[in-house]
Amino acid sequence: MTIAPPSHSPLDLEGLITLLNERFGTGISLLKEAPGLVVRVLDQAVLRAVSRFLFWEADGFFGGLIVEERFGEWTLQYLFLLRHIGWVDVVVRSPFAQKAIPSIVAEVHAADWYEREAEDLFGIDFEGHPRLGDFILHDETWQEHIAPMRKEFDAAVRNFEREPNQKWRPTLVVEDPGSFAMPVGPVYEGGLGEPIHFLLETVGEDVIREVPRLFYKYRAVEKIAEGKAVSDVLLLAERFSATSAFAHSLAFCQAIENAVQVEIPARASRLRVVLAELERLRHHAGAIEGICQSTALSVSEAHAAIIEEQLLRASAAFTGHRYLFGLNTLGGLQRDVEESGCRDLLRAIDDADSQLRILEDRLHYTSSFLDRLEDVGAISLENARDLDLVGPVGRASGVARDLRKACPYASYSEYSFDVPSEKEGDGYARLRVLFAEARESARLIQQAIASLEPGEISIPLDAPVSTVAFGWAEAPIGAALHGLRLDSQGRIERYRILTPSFRNWLGFHLAAEDFAFQDFPIILATFGLSATECDR
Amino acid sequence: MTAGIGFPLFLVFAWCAIGVFFGFFVSERRIPALLAWTGSLASGAALWAAVASLIGNGEFHRDLWTVRSIGTVTISLDHISAFFLLLAALVVLASSIFSASYLRRYVGHYSLCAFNCWYQILLASIVWILIEDDVLGFLVAWELMSISSYLLVNFEHRREGTKQAGYLMLATGEAGFLAVSVALLFLASRVGSLEFSGFRGSSVEIGRMAHWSVFLLTFFGFSVKAGLAPVNSWLPRAHPAAPANVSAILSGTILNLGIYGIVRVNLNLVPVRTAAEGSILLIIGAISALLGILYATTESDLKALLAHSSIENIGIVTLGLGAGIIFTAYGRPVLAGMAFIAAFYHMMNHSLYKSLLFLGAGAIDECAGTRDLDRLGGLIRVMPYTASVFLVGALAISGLPPFNGFVSEWLTLQTLLRSAELPSTVMRLVFVLCGAALALTAALAVTCFVKAFAMGFLGTSRSKKRPAKDASRAEVVPMALLGALCLLLGVLPTYVVPMLNRTLALIIDREATAALVPPFFSGSPAHGELPAAFVADFHNLGAQVGQFLPGRGLVLLHRGGTENPVVFAMSPSYACVALGVFLVLIWIVVRRTTARRTAVRRELWAGGIPRLLPEMTYTATGFSNPVRVVFQAIFRPGSMGDTRQTVAVHFRTAIHRQRRNIYPADSLFFYPLGDAVIWLARQFAGMHHGRLNAYVGYSLGFLLIVLILFRVS
Amino acid sequence: MSFWFWNGLKRGIQSTRYPRLPETTPGVTPGRPMATTFASAEEAAHAASGCPVGAITAAGREALIDLRTCIHCQRCRFGGSPPVEWVNDFEWTQLARTQTSFEPLNRSFQRSLHIMVVDAGDCGACLREIKQLNNPLYNIHRLGLFFTPTPRTADVLLVVGPVTENMRGPLEKTYHAMPQPKKVVAVGTCAITGGVFGRTFASAGGAGMVLPVDLEVPGDPPPPLAILHGLLVLTGRKSLQLSQTAAAS
Repeated sequence: MTIAPPSHSPLDLEGLITLLNERFGTGISLLKEAPGLVVRVLDQAVLRAVSRFLFWEADGFFGGLIVEERFGEWTLQYLFLLRHIGWVDVVVRSPFAQKAIPSIVAEVHAADWYEREAEDLFGIDFEGHPRLGDFILHDETWQEHIAPMRKEFDAAVRNFEREPNQKWRPTLVVEDPGSFAMPVGPVYEGGLGEPIHFLLETVGEDVIREVPRLFYKYRAVEKIAEGKAVSDVLLLAERFSATSAFAHSLAFCQAIENAVQVEIPARASRLRVVLAELERLRHHAGAIEGICQSTALSVSEAHAAIIEEQLLRASAAFTGHRYLFGLNTLGGLQRDVEESGCRDLLRAIDDADSQLRILEDRLHYTSSFLDRLEDVGAISLENARDLDLVGPVGRASGVARDLRKACPYASYSEYSFDVPSEKEGDGYARLRVLFAEARESARLIQQAIASLEPGEISIPLDAPVSTVAFGWAEAPIGAALHGLRLDSQGRIERYRILTPSFRNWLGFHLAAEDFAFQDFPIILATFGLSATECDR
Repeated sequence: MTAGIGFPLFLVFAWCAIGVFFGFFVSERRIPALLAWTGSLASGAALWAAVASLIGNGEFHRDLWTVRSIGTVTISLDHISAFFLLLAALVVLASSIFSASYLRRYVGHYSLCAFNCWYQILLASIVWILIEDDVLGFLVAWELMSISSYLLVNFEHRREGTKQAGYLMLATGEAGFLAVSVALLFLASRVGSLEFSGFRGSSVEIGRMAHWSVFLLTFFGFSVKAGLAPVNSWLPRAHPAAPANVSAILSGTILNLGIYGIVRVNLNLVPVRTAAEGSILLIIGAISALLGILYATTESDLKALLAHSSIENIGIVTLGLGAGIIFTAYGRPVLAGMAFIAAFYHMMNHSLYKSLLFLGAGAIDECAGTRDLDRLGGLIRVMPYTASVFLVGALAISGLPPFNGFVSEWLTLQTLLRSAELPSTVMRLVFVLCGAALALTAALAVTCFVKAFAMGFLGTSRSKKRPAKDASRAEVVPMALLGALCLLLGVLPTYVVPMLNRTLALIIDREATAALVPPFFSGSPAHGELPAAFVADFHNLGAQVGQFLPGRGLVLLHRGGTENPVVFAMSPSYACVALGVFLVLIWIVVRRTTARRTAVRRELWAGGIPRLLPEMTYTATGFSNPVRVVFQAIFRPGSMGDTRQTVAVHFRTAIHRQRRNIYPADSLFFYPLGDAVIWLARQFAGMHHGRLNAYVGYSLGFLLIVLILFRVS
Repeated sequence: MSFWFWNGLKRGIQSTRYPRLPETTPGVTPGRPMATTFASAEEAAHAASGCPVGAITAAGREALIDLRTCIHCQRCRFGGSPPVEWVNDFEWTQLARTQTSFEPLNRSFQRSLHIMVVDAGDCGACLREIKQLNNPLYNIHRLGLFFTPTPRTADVLLVVGPVTENMRGPLEKTYHAMPQPKKVVAVGTCAITGGVFGRTFASAGGAGMVLPVDLEVPGDPPPPLAILHGLLVLTGRKSLQLSQTAAAS
């Protein structure tokens, strides 16, 4: 599969509608709906072709798959983000009786894990998917037939029939009589690493391939949100992944705000930019610390760790919480900040920014450090685009997508900032992107604080009823999308979180192929992914 | 004395004949026992003859019969033959006892009657080669040995690859045989006698060119059997194909016969006296040693690993012989004696521990169902006895005290270091390089046998089949016997060295014992090789130490020359005692300090996964992969190619990795040679067009050429 | 070429003086809600009803806080009026509810305590805060506290997260792989009561459901110093500040 050359004239909404109608005619029906276009697939035979068209020819970003169980049938919603057009939802309906839904994996590789997830949690079969089963619900712990996301499954019931499968064994693909699998985790580094089980298929020093086994932290956030009030689910949205808590709660609140179409006060919207960028800066400092640690460069690690802790303290002093919990609320922010707090924050940001510059400069001239990062875990632009990698990882390979630019939210459109990107896609490129993004975040915070005007911090907002809500934010790791369906009492009927880590973990093995064993921690650290955000 | 040797020699052949004869009449199931008994009795008789000859002074010599127009068939048993006979007898004895149980696996699958027949013929032909004293008998016996060993290697002929391996062995063996025959018959024609005794002293007469040709031809011919580089590729292929008891004989005896040929012809009959010839042996020995151990380290089939290791060990022996020749050429007879003693010591050690290891490999194969180290593991729990004797063999071959491998490798290395006394700079450089190669070899040997033992016996099994029981007593006892000999030779070198010196009197000009095993603590302090003051000091020390320590010093000593008067001494016997004392002390301390503690056994910590799977334990290939990576550029021990099966770029369904061994000698020499022969045959194929006139013409032309040649010469 | 060693030295000692001296730098702790006396019983009841996790109970005019369930959502502080009082301390460690008395580890562990952490499904915050203990600002090595890579040498197990079903096995295995004597500390509200994730088919609702927990360090997440306090309590170098009843009140 090659990347289609960018079309000469950028496609606009009308042009897209015409093209879709030409290509697929009666197979689909189109519906213009904010914030973009809904493509109803009437004939499932054209699903793959439609996805291929949107992903490759229209150069769309694949946002993810949202599965719903409604009125005795499956509703599958494939999200695409098209430049200059916005969100295009491809909707497929399928009765329960239908045996299998055509898989789009062959056309859109990025859809692989989304379909596996749907198969594991809902029990939907996808026709043509190369491997299904044993994904989120580990087969050694859960029985195959359990489908927790089904409506009839009661999340509170713990004493269901369970017979752990002792016979389960991993699928190894390297066929060499001398190869063996080196297990790492789920409890490794003294537990300071997030629980992921890595199976390194190796013949000694060289690792041929690596398979991460995730979802040890599966807490069924999407399931336990069902039936809860919106304000309670907000707590879940910001607590399922602390490294990007603010971004996720922002995406959640914006989903509701988009649904009721209210304009939140300018002060709140600008403060949201300040806080989101503060979170990004702090996250990147932590990620840089991890990279320094992986190369065992202790002084630089300590340097980055101090920056991170100072930012955590600045966050707590500014907002009352080190990880920015409890700030976002529907219609704005829960608390206002004082002038003096802003000044202190600016000082802390300036300090962190200058320290990061010093650190970057020193690292840049440490050849032993660069030797370990350069050409390690490289992902080509083709592969990055193929799996639609997001965030700093994608940008290091040249996929310069950023929701802050692509479909601006909060008050990002007011400020000037760059989306840094690199071409090499190796560990060093990812480190450079992290540093550059941290600089941009500091710039954004300065601009946003300068633009703050006194005013309301939130508007009262009641949860809407019987509607669909969709919000997004560029989390530190990449694009985060939150989709909601609210029932007639304003309670959550279906909550869907599409996280950047979930997407990037799919691409992790591309970087972890044919490498020397000692490079593994470096590849892992330069990816800087969060298991908890992926597992939910 | 001679009568005391003739009778046991007769008994050897008698027992072999009885074995063959009864083999045709007893049932298949009884044959293992029959073979074990007759084989043991025959080798026991051979042992008797060898020991009698080594103890006695006289040389056994007898004319058997005279064939008209060809000459007299004579047999003789001098000390060198007796020494080789001793080793052969020990190995065959162990192997025969082992067969009693091991051969049962073949009942109903392959014809044991045939096996018995070839086995007895092989045994008889080995003894015959060693006692034969004329060219024709020697060649016939050699051919008989080649063919019977080929048939034995080919025994499991229905298994894949066996036939090719056997054929390769036969073909290269025959090529070597041709070279040897040409050289020996040429010598015989020059000397005018087919008897070996007639050859002695002929080297001066035949001239330099002829001498060189004889040396090169016989060295090539015998090094094929000895398994030296570059003509060694049959060895690692033949061993995995052969049954374990045959492998033991192949490695413990038949390789020695190659060395015997070199020693007999090139050191005894027509002694080589130039440093150039010696350095050929030295360099080829060093290359064989290094290549052998590199391949052994990266090999994962246990028997192929041992086969490569045999190449390494024979390389070390050849290296010692080469060093001896060079020292002789430069007029350093004592050093030459040391080198020869080291070489023969190493050959003896190799015979013992290698046959032990091959028998161990057979026991593993029998109990675990595979010899693939990538799939073995954890056998120590079910096979404790086999594991302990195999460990003895592995320690010995790795050159660790208190076992015998240490002594001979130490002696060889020390002798190489003495090359500093040589006058030629070039030769010193060659010695330095070969010494470095030997040191690397010794280090890699440890890696190799750590791998062989650890991957086989420690950890957990990676194969599906679980071995149920240890090897039988008939299998463990001969291995234990060999292991005990390994320990004995390692602990008491001071008794072995004089014996070897006496044995090698035919090829050593000056006594070397005094330089290696000085009679310090007892005996006379007067000593030609060492400065008097030094000896006096040592003697005084010895007088005190000798009051409570036994024996003839039990110290092996290596003293430098005048320019480098460093003394290297070591005493494996005292070291062994000290080791034992330390172990006991440690045991007591550990017992004392932990007596009040209770140990709780818990599951192995594996990072929290449900359990460690067999696929998750280190494989032999993985263990040796760093060696493979490091030496890839130089030796290319293996080449790899990945083929990937993918559904899409992100999803691999399979990654196949092919690894095949490439032998440099094969790819540089034999494959081109084979291609050339085929090419040549193609060219000549055009001549076969079926026209009668042309064929008559060919014959005429050939006759003409022959006549011209005859006229010219 | 950067002179890392020199650069490192130049920055001097940055570590906190805690536990020798109190630490008051702004931002080292988010603080905690404390029992508040309101003007009326209605106000107290209003405050109690505003708490999304039921950490506040009204007893007359007083609102009592259960730190074990508090998730630091700050709604009682900013959302409701009048607010519940917050205090900026961090010595929160308390006895696990299942324990009646606490015996610290003996003297030999005082300056050599090896810590094993198991992330059993936390949101990343508690784990991050535990990691912060290793940074130069807290530098727990100076107190003889070390993270160890294997449970075989660990003395104390820090559990974070509500113990997901997939992590339950590994957590139990880790605990059983540790030698005696061993202590278990539940760090963070999730590890104590399950927090927002509660007790569901995928989450056990706290480490106490799976293992015998000795100490609890509440907070969502507890700041590094609160965790450090817990470790010091474990070695007998600090005492439990909040008694069981006070914490519940």
